[in-house]
Amino acid sequence: MIHLTDVHKHYQMGPTVVRALDGVSMSVDAGEFVAIVGPSGSGKSTMMNIIGCLDSPDAGSYLLAGEEAAERSADELAEIRNRNIGFVFQSFNLLPRASAVENVELPLIYRGISGRVRRRMAEAMLERVGLADRSRHLPAELSGGQRQRVAIARALVGNPSVLLADEPTGALDTHTGEEIMTLFEQLNAEGVTVVLVTHDPHLARRAARAITLLDGRVTTATALEVRP
Amino acid sequence: MSTGAQLIMLWENIAMSVRSIAANKGRAVLTALGVMIGVGSVIALTALGTGAAVSVEARLGNLGANLMIVYSGQPRGTALVRTRTTNIAPALTIDDLAFIDSLPPDLVVMTSPESSINGQLKFENRNTAATVIGTDTDYPEIRNFRPVFGDFFTPADLEGRRNVVAIGVQVYRDLFPDGRDPLGTTIRMNGLPFTVVGIMEEKGNPGQDASVLIPLTTFRRSLSGSDRYAIINIQAASPDVMYQLQEIIETQLLAFRRLPSMELADFYIANQMDLIGTVRGVADTFTLLLGGIAAISLLVGGIGIMNIMLVSVTERTREIGVRMALGAKGRHVMTQFLTEAVILSAGGGLIGVGLGYAGAWGAWRFGGLAAVVSPESVLIAFGFALVTGLFFGGYPAYRASRLDPIEALRYE
Ligand SMILES: Nc1ncnc2c1ncn2[C@@H]1O[C@H](COP(=O)(O)OP(=O)(O)OP(=O)(O)O)[C@@H](O)[C@H]1O
Ligand SMILES: [Mg+2]
Repeated sequence: MIHLTDVHKHYQMGPTVVRALDGVSMSVDAGEFVAIVGPSGSGKSTMMNIIGCLDSPDAGSYLLAGEEAAERSADELAEIRNRNIGFVFQSFNLLPRASAVENVELPLIYRGISGRVRRRMAEAMLERVGLADRSRHLPAELSGGQRQRVAIARALVGNPSVLLADEPTGALDTHTGEEIMTLFEQLNAEGVTVVLVTHDPHLARRAARAITLLDGRVTTATALEVRP
Repeated sequence: MSTGAQLIMLWENIAMSVRSIAANKGRAVLTALGVMIGVGSVIALTALGTGAAVSVEARLGNLGANLMIVYSGQPRGTALVRTRTTNIAPALTIDDLAFIDSLPPDLVVMTSPESSINGQLKFENRNTAATVIGTDTDYPEIRNFRPVFGDFFTPADLEGRRNVVAIGVQVYRDLFPDGRDPLGTTIRMNGLPFTVVGIMEEKGNPGQDASVLIPLTTFRRSLSGSDRYAIINIQAASPDVMYQLQEIIETQLLAFRRLPSMELADFYIANQMDLIGTVRGVADTFTLLLGGIAAISLLVGGIGIMNIMLVSVTERTREIGVRMALGAKGRHVMTQFLTEAVILSAGGGLIGVGLGYAGAWGAWRFGGLAAVVSPESVLIAFGFALVTGLFFGGYPAYRASRLDPIEALRYE
């Protein structure tokens, strides 16, 4: 399903080169539940952006469903992001002027789903993350954890086949975090491929498999776990 | 994408644009101000131009419908109706008139010859000077100059060479200051007795108001002796045939005189269309000039829209990034910003249309100016505003659509 081979992503910062990804190879099969762990700055978000078709590698290959992402057009990538991938951003990325439910509706707009149907789907998803009573609130009127749950609802509303979650429980208390994890596990059981970035070793252990990044590389210990 | 989905997208774009404009009301109004003023001034100024042309044309029509006049002498200025023709030797012959009368009715409806002299009029102890015009009974119709009291002289008066007179309103006032009924009264004209049969309507120009009209037959026998006419008035069948008719008459009258060209002719033709053409030409130039000025202000308005749209795109870079990350394609972003620009310009344009009507009304109500708002100017100005929005919104929208999603997301 997801297949990275020797992926590099470098940033030129003045005289120095930041090697955010320095030859990452890994794969995730359809239906897997994989955790990505590693210290801050190790390249987890950078890798997630590439997997999510938001960013492209400087070198190396990224095959998604057997096709090279770099060879697809911008419109095709937009279509994939819209229909196949649910992305929970580390920084939420909610539209500040849109209410919770309007934020959740966003991916559905670009599928051409009518307003009434959209609203119903978005409300249902907000209810699933426990925010039914906050649907009219603006992001600024929500707590950090509530915003995170709006971001999760938005990632899930379009029934993606791949869920990419970058620290989705970082701002949540253990209890709510557990609930979200349970939700992810349910989705995974329904066949959704889940890739989850987390700092929490407890949560990482609930994944079938963990990939550890360090300085833009997959560390050997976990690399062994990656199937060829 | 299906049409249904496209409609949903369109509606979504409009809703988003309205929300985004509503979030920056003051800025939106200032942005659209240029377009408002542009559209408003196009409409109001062209209304003034059109109004001026219409009122001049109405005044010309007042001289008589489709009027064409053959004058004796050489042309002087462009005035259709010369106020003083009495000092020019009458040069138009019976043959000239007969030729014009022989032209088919799809060219010439009717003709009326006239000659005139300066006359001295007297009643009891009062004297006044007037132009004495000898003519026939078609004259009131051709020149749109009719009696308001009593009647014009009749064919029988013409036939019998009777001494009857229809007097201009100024002559009436001078001779009958007590306002009495003058019908049947005998006045003296260059010593000869004439019976008053009517008072002509007031035209507001001394050439007509200070004139008296008598049968041409009487005029010839008693006052001039010449069998030539000073003027032949012609009512053409329509404005469209006027130039053709003028050419036919000029050619034949030159042939009668064995003259090669109009430069040497002892007659000339004044054509209502010439004047209307001149007036329209001036009005068109005026309208074009005003339209040009207004178009420049629309252009400035358009640049204002572009400026604010560029700001808006920059401000909302993150929003664009989020939308793209969630599946918006370039064209979605493009149409979103284009819709916003068009709504701004269309809104400005609509208010501008209102301003234009108000301006035209104000010029009429408080400035006493004739203002005629033409539907074309409204459509053109509004259409121009829309195109301005599309054109000047196009570049910012294009820039927005070409953003890289990940860079747009990182934008602070
Ligand atoms: N746009 C950028 N320009 C320059 N450097 C960047 C950029 N994006 C990421 N980096 C660098 O790449 C490295 C990896 O960043 P990344 O965001 O992937 O880390 P992370 O593993 O997600 O960290 P965290 O756990 O704190 O979220 C960091 O050193 C960061 O400074
Ligand atoms: Mg990160």
